Amino acid sequence: CSNFQKLLKSTDVSKKYQAALEYYEQEEYYRSSQLFDQVTDLMAGTEEGEKAQFYRAKAHFMQGNYILSEAYFRTFHTTYPRSPLAEEALFMQAQSLYEQSPSYQEDQTPTLTAIEAYEEFLVRYPTSERIAEANRVIEELYQKLDRKAFNQARLYYQLRYWRSAAVALNNFQKEHASSPYSEEAAFLKLDAQYRFALESVPAKQEERFDQAVDYFQSFVDMYPESQYRREAERVFDAVQSALATLRKSSANNQNS
Amino acid sequence: SQVVNRPTQSSSLIDYSQPKQYRIGGIAISGSKFLEPIALTSLTGLKEGDMITVPGEDISRAIQNLWDQGILGDVDVSARTEGDVIFLTFNLTESPRLSNFRFSGINKSQADALREKVPLQKGRLVTDAILSSTRNAVREYYIEKSFLNAKVNITQRPDSVLPNSVVLNINVDKGDKVKVGEIEIVGNEAFTDKKLKRQLKNTKEKKFYKIFTSSKYNRTKFEEDKEALITFYNTQGYRDATIVSDSVYKISEDRLGIILTVDEGQQYYYRNITWTGNYLYDDEYLARVLGIEKGDVYDQEELAKRLTYNPAGVDVSALYQNDGYLFSNIEPVEVRVEGDSIDIEMRVFEGTQATINQILISGNDKTSDHVILREIRTLPGQKYSRDDLIRTRNELAALGYFDPETIGLNPIPNPADGTVDIAYSVVERPNDQISLSGGWGGPIGAVGTVGLTLNNFSTRKMLNLSEWKPIPTGDGQRLNLNIQANGKYYQSYSFSFTEPWLGGRKANSLTVSLFKTIYRRGQLQQQSQDGAESLLNVNGGAISLGRRLNWPDNYFYMNHSLSYSRYRLENYALFSGFSNGISNSISVVNTLGRSSIDNPTFPRRGSSFTLSVNLTPPYSLLSDRGDDFEYIEFNKFMFDASYFINVAGNLVINTRAHFGFLGTYSKDSEIGPFERFKLGGAGLGGGNVFVGTEYIGLRGYDDESVINTNNGTLLNAGGIAYNKFVVEARQLISPNPAATIYGLAFLEAGNNFGNYKDYNPFKLYRSVGVGARIFMSAFGLLGFDYGWRLDTLPGSTGRNADRGMFHFIIGQQIR
Repeated sequence: CSNFQKLLKSTDVSKKYQAALEYYEQEEYYRSSQLFDQVTDLMAGTEEGEKAQFYRAKAHFMQGNYILSEAYFRTFHTTYPRSPLAEEALFMQAQSLYEQSPSYQEDQTPTLTAIEAYEEFLVRYPTSERIAEANRVIEELYQKLDRKAFNQARLYYQLRYWRSAAVALNNFQKEHASSPYSEEAAFLKLDAQYRFALESVPAKQEERFDQAVDYFQSFVDMYPESQYRREAERVFDAVQSALATLRKSSANNQNS
Repeated sequence: SQVVNRPTQSSSLIDYSQPKQYRIGGIAISGSKFLEPIALTSLTGLKEGDMITVPGEDISRAIQNLWDQGILGDVDVSARTEGDVIFLTFNLTESPRLSNFRFSGINKSQADALREKVPLQKGRLVTDAILSSTRNAVREYYIEKSFLNAKVNITQRPDSVLPNSVVLNINVDKGDKVKVGEIEIVGNEAFTDKKLKRQLKNTKEKKFYKIFTSSKYNRTKFEEDKEALITFYNTQGYRDATIVSDSVYKISEDRLGIILTVDEGQQYYYRNITWTGNYLYDDEYLARVLGIEKGDVYDQEELAKRLTYNPAGVDVSALYQNDGYLFSNIEPVEVRVEGDSIDIEMRVFEGTQATINQILISGNDKTSDHVILREIRTLPGQKYSRDDLIRTRNELAALGYFDPETIGLNPIPNPADGTVDIAYSVVERPNDQISLSGGWGGPIGAVGTVGLTLNNFSTRKMLNLSEWKPIPTGDGQRLNLNIQANGKYYQSYSFSFTEPWLGGRKANSLTVSLFKTIYRRGQLQQQSQDGAESLLNVNGGAISLGRRLNWPDNYFYMNHSLSYSRYRLENYALFSGFSNGISNSISVVNTLGRSSIDNPTFPRRGSSFTLSVNLTPPYSLLSDRGDDFEYIEFNKFMFDASYFINVAGNLVINTRAHFGFLGTYSKDSEIGPFERFKLGGAGLGGGNVFVGTEYIGLRGYDDESVINTNNGTLLNAGGIAYNKFVVEARQLISPNPAATIYGLAFLEAGNNFGNYKDYNPFKLYRSVGVGARIFMSAFGLLGFDYGWRLDTLPGSTGRNADRGMFHFIIGQQIR
């Protein structure tokens, strides 16, 4: 059998450790991690124990075993908080979490965990040269969350559930005020509210059109230069004329 | 050595009442034999030059760090100070560490299971505490398996290879399996021993005739059973019933006995039920919905069910909960107890109506948000309704992407602004099916099959390589590929694709399917007169559109499809007088259906019906044509109805009725060999799958054997009218989503007719039987049934020995 198989079966801890390091250098991460997995726990308390733990985590990271590498980097950081490698370990732990963050249409629990990890890194190592990178990734992850929330809210608009669309887009605006989607959300909310009012029973129409007027005004205040401005004004004109008709007919009813 | 987990700061120079900052001048390690001082120093987290506070947290944290490694027997610290410089010495005691452990006295699978349960970790210290918790873990494992006398013995020996290490040998002597020999119940007058013992669901006496009943003794299950016994008394009006004492005694090495002493108390009845706090509904109406009369036996469980949630019918809270009154609450208070009569006051709190604000989804780590969100019936801005919540759960279960037993519904009320957020949680389960099989397919011989069904496919993600893990999923599209072949004689290819929400705005589904089948017979099979090869080739495709309806209610759906098949026959005797030529079949199928089934894998309640009409153009009415089969003409009506009712716990009764009729447009033309019915057996279809034949099961009879005719051609081609009725009782055995298992018992009857002259819906061939099904997401539904026929088919011998038979069932069957 091969040299690697012999190593796997050997009981010589230091030989395995040396081989694991060599495999790591040669970018043979699978073999490296297999050997590290066997020896790292047995090496706790020895001089190389620290290095073994760190490179085990890295070898798993390089293979894409992000669940394992995250756990190993975290253990490393709690065990050797003063090690010169500790900063890198904490950053790599966050990066392991970042790699697990799924596409925006799936459950974002891992994204939130990753954001927390990067934020912890910022607090612990405020002078690190990795700060810029950490901030960039946090921004990227928040944008993913924005995109997810916007997509969910916009779905009601696409399904033509106008009332739900207005409620959901309103919530989106409140919770993701600074997101790049806010402008579109503000316009869609106005349009959804108008269509909702249009489909309402006459008794409730006036109140709901009035709400659309409010939405229009806050839209123009916030985004005076918006690319949706012209369409928004068209909706607003429609709202105005609907309101005028309503008021005229209610005035007629009162007169007669 | 367990207690020295805190620093012993032994220096007379340190004033403990006044914490002071020191600079570390040096760290020394003493007492280490195998471990390296430098590494240990770095594990403390302290280094020379650090500023620390003494007394303070720094030193205790350093000790904790060392301790957490689990490699040291004992740690303490001594310190010496020179001005504001401190010198620390960590005094260690090394203890042997675990290098390996193994089990003896038990088999490998149990050892593997135990390996997960014991708290042993390689490289860690072996302490008395660890040894004793290991012993307990092993004992608990065996007690769970009713080896109450299991003995565990752990021996240590030094590891010859690794210094300062030990190897553990965990020896287990399982002893005898202990079962419950006898149960004695004392103090019961209202109910018999037998009735009470039946309430102890998981504690049963061992009897030689009870071969399916487990009589294991399990302490926790026994405690649950005692509670169940009291619950049983409570449901019968014995509100005060208690278990005075219970004792478990040893009869022999492998048997134990149980004595339960009960105090029944007296039976109580309802007297007056009054309502307070109700403004929306009057007392009389609420009392009618509650349905409890003065003089009824007092049953708290039933009362709670009728008040708060009754899955099988109406309950009082539904009046409020389905109309937005999420915050409403009804509290029954016993206001007076006199003799055996109890007066109840219902304190109703109605609250305000809640509006749905946000919908939150979690757990979808494969399926896209919009696929879930578009099925959800609770919409932002609407009034809260409990029925919508439950309906949503059923809709999500019906998708098949999630474990139906763990779909979570959690309304999060915000009483401050009268709104409610609703959090749905799902657990994804695998739902793609891959089949690779080889088998012996009757007259054709060996057949190989390659099949792939992807139920949650995404064509949108196909271009993105990172979404291939291993295939792009999450958009709810269905893709099906199937290839079946046996070299030259039989080949079948099929493909279908479904987009459930065409355009993304409405639940209109589009399905496109294509298929090709070639069936050749050689000279050996005497099908052709002149010894030439015979061949049947079928090519075809279909396109269908499905939509959900909102009228008569929103459980209805409709499906329209257009299909085309082209049959080419060469020396292939399909029907009398038809063995060469080309047939074209163009037909339109319209299906109207309604389904309110709660769970696709194991339905508990709900019903479904479908009516489908399959029509070809009426050629014979349009032109004067002979009985050639160039353009196939038929009309076919199929009706299926199924109803589920949950009788108790996991026991469900399913009743079904099925009808099918095939006809032509003109009185003169003959009904061809296409689209006929074959009844009998498991209904899986074997031979001529390609002429549109409908295979319908009738258990207890041979495959395709049931037809009410003696005409040889018809026996071969199938009938033109059938009906079938089924009553089936199903008991869920394992709800585990990886393998859902249920048992069943059935009674069914059906018949298949060769012409309408003989049609008689009351002339039926009946059968009874039992069976089991297992649903595994990777394979779909598999099962077997044992059927026993009660009637004799015309022409068969009818010997009693042939009456029973096994059927293997593959896949979910509609009919």
